[in-house]
This record gives sequence, C-alpha cells and structure tokens, in this order.
Amino acid sequence: MKFSLAVYSAPHSSQSAASALRFAQALLAQGHQLYRVFFYCDGVHNGSSIAAPPQDEFDLVGQWQALQRQHQLDLVICIAAAQRRGVLSEREAERLEKPAANLADGFELAGLGQLADAVANSDRLVTFGG
Amino acid sequence: MAKRTLALCRQAPYGSALAREGLEAVLAAAAMDQAPDLLLLRDGAFQLLGDQSPEGIGQKSLQRNLLALPMFGVERVYVCERSLMERGIDAKRIEIPGVKVELVLDTGSFIAAYDTVLSF
Repeated sequence: MKFSLAVYSAPHSSQSAASALRFAQALLAQGHQLYRVFFYCDGVHNGSSIAAPPQDEFDLVGQWQALQRQHQLDLVICIAAAQRRGVLSEREAERLEKPAANLADGFELAGLGQLADAVANSDRLVTFGG
Repeated sequence: MAKRTLALCRQAPYGSALAREGLEAVLAAAAMDQAPDLLLLRDGAFQLLGDQSPEGIGQKSLQRNLLALPMFGVERVYVCERSLMERGIDAKRIEIPGVKVELVLDTGSFIAAYDTVLSF
C-alpha cells in the first residue's frame, strides 16, 4: 500500500514526530511504499540541521536523514510554515536576508501543493501531531 | 473516480497556528482543483463566528481565509451540530457570505464516507 505521512509536531516537544518516524520505519519494513512525508506547522523543525539534542537522547533529525538515504524518501517541508519558524535553505536565507540557513540535508522546501499531491497519489494519509 | 477528501478543522481560530495553517492548506488544495470538503468540529466551530477582532491580540483575521473559500470553488462548509450546542453557539449566528453552512449531526458516519481526511 502507498502511504504518505503528515507531521505537525516538532521533535523533542511531543512524542508525535518520533511516532511518525517509527511508523515510517515500520511500514517500509513491511514492504509498503512511502510516497512522501510532509512536515507542516511545528513539524518543520524536524528538518533543522542545528538541533543539538544531548547524546543520550534520540536524534530524530539524524534518523529521518538516515531513513531518507536508505529509501530515497521524499521529505518535504512546507516552505511557508518553515519561513515563519526559521527553517531556511541557503537560497531562502539569502533571498530573505537572514544571517543563517539550517535546512538539513535530505529535506526539501516546497509548497502546500505537495500535501494535496500526496493526498491524490497515496492510498493512505496518516497524520501525526496537531 | 476522484477521491473524496475531507478537511477537519478542530481548533479555535487564534489559539493554535493549526487553525490558520489548516485553512491555508485547504485553499492551496482548492487552488489545485482538489478542494476538500470542510467540517468544522469541536472548537473549530468558533472559526465561523462573526465579529472577531483579532487585531487586539496582534493577529491577522482568519475570517479572510474563510471568505476566500468561494473564490476557490468551496461553496459549502459543514459544521458539527453538537459542537455548536456544547459551546452555546446559535447556528443563526454563523454566516460566511457566499458559503452555505450545513449542520451535521452524525459526524462519525459523515467522516467515514471520505477516502482521505486531513486533520487540522
């Protein structure tokens, strides 16, 4: 079955984002397809490369990146939600004249149309957080 | 056959960013000719009240997003009747120009009729 996930929660503030990651790992392990993970609202913080959790805590950003590399996942961060919350690519930081960029490798910024596209092209959309 | 998609809006208009960002997602989907149906549920029913003055708390009006719905082809929104009753909202007080508001009593079977649900 073809899944897409919508993630609305930041890592390290609720369990939702970690549950989304574990759900993604489980469905891929069972042979299902993951069409896209769409990070929206506070979920955009999952794609921040400068999160620095203590070493004995779960590194959610790193885990998303590892899963992305392993399965060539489409990890999309809503650009409008990300701009509000300060998750910027090099290009966006330059365009918006901000002093730093922090979009983690493996994630890309795109518009809300990618959520509608995920709905249209997946058998199931599963939402985490909110 | 096109998929039937429902957007559930459950948040009061200014307490959580999800209220605004949910409506933005609905408008974005509608702009791609994939307008979902809209069900306002629980505190989401407060989004439909007129006379909001969010400038007092430094917020932009969410009603502008609701008013934009008919321009994107959304001409009907559903609202949970029980959510209105529980909050003492008179159905006559809710009005969005250009949009027909329909009350839903049995939200469970209503939601079950959709292929995909976007929860906001």
